[in-house]
Amino acid sequence: MMRLLRAETRKLSTVWSTYVIAGIVVLIDVLAGVAFAFAPSGRHGGAAGIVPRGSLQWFGNVFSVLDTARLLALVLGAIIITGEYRHKTVTPTFLAEPRRGRVITSKLVASFGGGLLLGLITMLTGLVIGFVFVGVGFHSCVTFSGVNQGMSHAVCGLRQGVYYSASVHTMLHDWWRIAPGVVLGTGLFGLYGLGLGALLKNQVTAIVVGLIFTLVIESIVGAIWPTIGEYLPGQAATALENAARSTVSNTSLLPWWGGAIMLVIYGVALAAVGTLTTVRSDVT
Amino acid sequence: MPTIEARGLTKRFGAHLLAVDHLDFDGIPGGVTGFLGPNGAGKTTTLRMLLGLVTPTSGSVRIDGHNYRHLPQPMERVGAVLEASGFHPARTARNHLKIVATMAGIPHSRVDECLELVGLSDSRDRRVGGFSMGMRQRLELARALLGKPDILILDEPANGLDPQGIAWLRDFLKFYASQDVSSGAEGRIVIISSHLLSEAQLIVDDVIVLTNGRLAAQGKLQDLLAGSKRAVNVKTPDAQRLVEALHEANLRAVLRHGYVVCDGCTPEQVAPIMVDKRIEVHEMVSSTESLESLFFSLTGGERSQLTPGGNFSGEGGGPNDPVPAAPRPTTSMGSQS
Repeated sequence: MMRLLRAETRKLSTVWSTYVIAGIVVLIDVLAGVAFAFAPSGRHGGAAGIVPRGSLQWFGNVFSVLDTARLLALVLGAIIITGEYRHKTVTPTFLAEPRRGRVITSKLVASFGGGLLLGLITMLTGLVIGFVFVGVGFHSCVTFSGVNQGMSHAVCGLRQGVYYSASVHTMLHDWWRIAPGVVLGTGLFGLYGLGLGALLKNQVTAIVVGLIFTLVIESIVGAIWPTIGEYLPGQAATALENAARSTVSNTSLLPWWGGAIMLVIYGVALAAVGTLTTVRSDVT
Repeated sequence: MPTIEARGLTKRFGAHLLAVDHLDFDGIPGGVTGFLGPNGAGKTTTLRMLLGLVTPTSGSVRIDGHNYRHLPQPMERVGAVLEASGFHPARTARNHLKIVATMAGIPHSRVDECLELVGLSDSRDRRVGGFSMGMRQRLELARALLGKPDILILDEPANGLDPQGIAWLRDFLKFYASQDVSSGAEGRIVIISSHLLSEAQLIVDDVIVLTNGRLAAQGKLQDLLAGSKRAVNVKTPDAQRLVEALHEANLRAVLRHGYVVCDGCTPEQVAPIMVDKRIEVHEMVSSTESLESLFFSLTGGERSQLTPGGNFSGEGGGPNDPVPAAPRPTTSMGSQS
């Protein structure tokens, strides 16, 4: 089992697609983070539609994009198994380890680990973005906000220091609030992607089905039947993230552990069904 | 000592296609066994069942008494080169082998050894996506050899190899099969499937011929060919005198298409008569039945189903030739085949 896991790790580290996926995570975080930070109105902009820059809610908006990494974890999980079929490396794999259940088990672990790593990458990117925003200093003398115009440099410098430490504290507060949930949710979405891939075998089909289900079908089901919606993978992952999120009302979400259990069930059950059907079938 | 035993091996795809039908055969150690048959005869399916990639509908095929899926270290028992086996194009040759070695628990030092063995050392850090067909075949072979197996299975190994590559493969397989196994027994089992009969004829010692999923013939290639027809064809201006002289020597001879054809004769019988009678010779061709024509007679002359290769250019007759097993000249000027 350990050698299968080592092989899976090497499989991921020796192809460029893994790095592209990680790069996309960072790119989305940066682009969307900047967009949400400086858009005329924030995502969760209160009654007036404007969130004060540097506020807890403002950082919440900037970090709200970080959980998009879970979609890429889904893609990564799907690629881990469907790539073997696509490039026909499944033949040498099953020749080296003919016990296919073991191969799938090691891939489940690898996709969870890969997902966790993507979750870490997205949260670290968020942290860097946060520090950059604080550092650029929207409250400082050279800021584009124009708040401090006309102040003397000494006063300005003092205020800058105060605001800097206050902003870092605010930023870290919001970051910590979502970090464990995002990392775990992203990891479990890797598991979910692997399950889909094991069942559907075709790479494009698995990715398209996974993304459409998460982005479209879940929203529709969630809107019509919220009680069913909360058990679906995307909502389950959101539940994880909202564990400590008191600012967002989460009436139609499972408790965080419920979300984790649902995601494990999705990943393992899909992979088990896939192993008994698709994976067990003849390799020709 | 390595063994392969197939008993009642059957594979049905869907309701109608019986790909392999109650096949019995044994692996023969110490030589190269040719697994021959027209396309669709069930060669690849049989080999894939042997390797646990395809599940038999009924019957079994065992390696050292075990199903491949239950072998403790399968790659250290069996090495397989398969046609539809793939590589991730972005991976280097070396990384591809390292991954397989890791999965199979084989030390990574074997990776460079095997790349050296197949002549890919210079390309080991290149991406497989840029490899030619022949290089991919060599890389597949290197992968098969990672575990130092006593059984080597190759499905259409000559595909994509240039003539030098085929010659190299031939020598390599002959050498590999003759090596003593660790237990000091009769030698290794090497099975190759092929539709290139002229190539197979040069490589194989034993043949297993399949048609429509059934065993058509099994045995030593020499024995199978020994029982076949031979003839001597002579072109001479003194045709009539030669025919009479051969008849005097109790040999069957007729004049056909400008040649004196002596059926069932050897050049050793015919040449002294011609010297004795001072008959001028322009051409003398000794023909034995080739593996190809033997194959056609065994497989019911299904010539049209075969993939056209250089050796199927039809010297023995056209596709609709009612006599499929026509002798074909194989050697010139009396040299024995």
